[in-house]
Amino acid sequence: MELVVRLAGAAGQGVQSLGEVLVRSLFRSGLFVHGELSYHSRIRGGENAFTVRLADRPLFATRREADLLVVLTPEMWRAYGARLRPGAWVVAEEGAAPEGPRVLRLPALQLAREKLGLPLAQGVVLLGAAARLLGLNPSAVERALQEVFGAKAGPNLQAFALGWERAPGPAWELPPPRFGPGERMLLTGGQAVGAGALAAGCRFLAAYPMTPGTPVLEFLAQRGERYGVVVEQAEDEIAAINMALGAAYAGARAMVTTSGGGFALMVEGLSLAGMIETPVVIHLGQRPGPATGLPTRTSQENLLFALYAGHGEFPRYLTAPATPESAFYLTMQAFELAEAYQVPAILLTDQFLVDSYAVVPALDPGRVPLREHTLSPQELERLERYERFAPTPTGVSPRALPGASRHLVLVDSDEHDFYGRITEDLEIRKAMVEKRLRKEGYLAQETALPEVFPAELRGRVALLGWGSTYGALREAVEALNREEDRYAHVHFQDLWPVRWAEVEELLREARAVVTVEGNAWGQLGKLLRQETGIRPARHLARYDGRPFTPEDIVEAMRHAA
Amino acid sequence: MRPEEYFAEVEMAWCPGCGNFAIRRALALALSALALPPERVVLVTGIGQAAKIVHYLRVNGFNGLHGRTIAAAAGIKMANPSLTVIAESGDGDLYGEGGNHLLHNIRRNLDLTVIAHDNRVYGLTKGQASPTAPQGYTTRAQPFGVLSRPLNPLALAIALGAGFVAQTFSGEVEKTAEILARAIRYKGFALMNVLHPCPSWNRVQTFAWYKERLQPVEALGHDPADRLAALSLVLSPGEDRLPVGVLVEAPPEPTWEERHPVLRQGPLVGRPLPRPEELRPLLAEFL
Repeated sequence: MELVVRLAGAAGQGVQSLGEVLVRSLFRSGLFVHGELSYHSRIRGGENAFTVRLADRPLFATRREADLLVVLTPEMWRAYGARLRPGAWVVAEEGAAPEGPRVLRLPALQLAREKLGLPLAQGVVLLGAAARLLGLNPSAVERALQEVFGAKAGPNLQAFALGWERAPGPAWELPPPRFGPGERMLLTGGQAVGAGALAAGCRFLAAYPMTPGTPVLEFLAQRGERYGVVVEQAEDEIAAINMALGAAYAGARAMVTTSGGGFALMVEGLSLAGMIETPVVIHLGQRPGPATGLPTRTSQENLLFALYAGHGEFPRYLTAPATPESAFYLTMQAFELAEAYQVPAILLTDQFLVDSYAVVPALDPGRVPLREHTLSPQELERLERYERFAPTPTGVSPRALPGASRHLVLVDSDEHDFYGRITEDLEIRKAMVEKRLRKEGYLAQETALPEVFPAELRGRVALLGWGSTYGALREAVEALNREEDRYAHVHFQDLWPVRWAEVEELLREARAVVTVEGNAWGQLGKLLRQETGIRPARHLARYDGRPFTPEDIVEAMRHAA
Repeated sequence: MRPEEYFAEVEMAWCPGCGNFAIRRALALALSALALPPERVVLVTGIGQAAKIVHYLRVNGFNGLHGRTIAAAAGIKMANPSLTVIAESGDGDLYGEGGNHLLHNIRRNLDLTVIAHDNRVYGLTKGQASPTAPQGYTTRAQPFGVLSRPLNPLALAIALGAGFVAQTFSGEVEKTAEILARAIRYKGFALMNVLHPCPSWNRVQTFAWYKERLQPVEALGHDPADRLAALSLVLSPGEDRLPVGVLVEAPPEPTWEERHPVLRQGPLVGRPLPRPEELRPLLAEFL
């Protein structure tokens, strides 16, 4: 059982709110949903589409074609009217779509204006009709309307009723609830990163607004007072990373959030984090480039950039969450590993993951144990002498905080000695490079190998992906294997450091490797070849700014076969 | 602590006769006068000859990137307002590469002291013009002379409402130390522009050149509470008169950290890690 509902209108018509209401209504009905927001970089006009999938099993991908299309404007009919599955229904503003079978046209704008004096409620009228066609329980929708519109729910509840009473009975029968209240959670990837940061004890965030990094800034800003986080909108991204490093040096768990262009400005600061061995978590939400690119669209173009950004050689932790669930846990882990190894940690997400809703098992912050990784005042008092960069077998030096004891803490962007003092002693330089790089080997023991499905890879064509393409790839491999059982899905989240010898051993079993990535170059493929010598047979690329759908991958693989 | 006890016993990379030595001494005198324990002070510097001062004094130090001195200092102060945070660097670092951070941190009004070593040249990279170099000043990188007008950091800080703005000359160590102590004690953003000769690269603005032009503002009867009078002092004289002394010392306004609801409950540093049960309301948002 699966249905796809697409809500489409111009920016300013409230499509995102409608999508949230629908997603919440289905979630409250105990169903798995996925909600994907696709929008133009503007405040009025253009195109806004919210695609909601519902099913009786977890979903982490979107679809090209819809079973129920709700259109507010003729432009949206032209954009999406052809992308319908057989038997689809259309609910349209009168005049937005031509008459036809299974087309329900309503004078929603007129109803909203004349009966409610609120033209903006036009979309809710159409949503009311769509909800009835879907067979939703009206009380679930009413609750969702209250959750999304809050104090302004009143006229929207009336608008909903106006649409509901004008629709025929259900066109579909929804499955019975698959989970009860409290068992599952509904959240976007952006909310998951924000919640993971709070759960990991993030105390400081500095950021300059940039889509799709901004949702994390706003999530923490709105909860900072309650959870004890200072959130500051910096004058630019360079300030943001340097402020975060200052805060981290002082002892606050610190984070920045941005997109490719802002990360480019942070690169010198990233290198500083490597040099002064100060933890910082960088959320990098990808969008298509180069330069400003497509600000509100999605991409996976920054894997190699995130991996190699920064002059000089230093270790980092790089991870790309697959779903909102793993975004929560990997954000927590990024904070822990950054603290434990005194390295920068990069969370590589994208617009699709940040903005999409999914239903996940109830999150349990206890799954990622937190530890204090700095010397306590008592431990410091016992020390005769303190050196911030003292050599150790792992390369990780005991970290003191300034002001915590009589010991002074000195860090330097120049090459420095064990104390932190600037040096041009080239023997010390060598020792410091080795100390910094030694940490990487230990860090590699803590990262996860790619997930393999099905577990036995021998003789199969391995479809390789990373990050947010997880859902589309898994569904595609399941669909392909129903036709011919010869495919596998290999998915990376942790992308550096990786125990490449183990990856090589694993992938040598496969008949062939195909990379599936939201970029033109096949960046994971390049990395794989560099680190293991394995050359992907093919690269399925997507670089039009849209997320992969399962059918994109199935069709491309069928075509190749 | 005696001033000398703030000196770190290391070899120094400054040129003989450099004004930086005097500024180092003045800062040690100021810290001593304020009886600040070294472990309660964080000196944040960037890159350049002036920025090396962090290695020559015995306090906590963050020697960050060129131009990013004030940004890093702001982050440290936001995380732990109980520390005395001083951002110190050269004119190229603070006024050139890092100009944006100066603008916006004057707006923030954290309790920070910014000390600018203003010698009008880039010393470490061998003599190019800095943002405060006069028009027409020629160097190997500016063979036709500097075409742009010099930045007026004092006018900028005064106009943006900085609470404490002062200028001194490195040749007057005692006076620089005394005003530095006032700047550090001042509750809010304080800018100290310290003029100093560069004997290696600047052959025009020499020690004697400065000495002839210094004009103590006390002697003019200037009232540091009068911001407009201060602005007129720093805008009018041009190159033949250099006002020195406290230009602005406004009644302190609430600082950024005093206005921040999270910091009113104390520093961020030292707060315990969240326990899973404390996160229940957060996770309930997604139920």
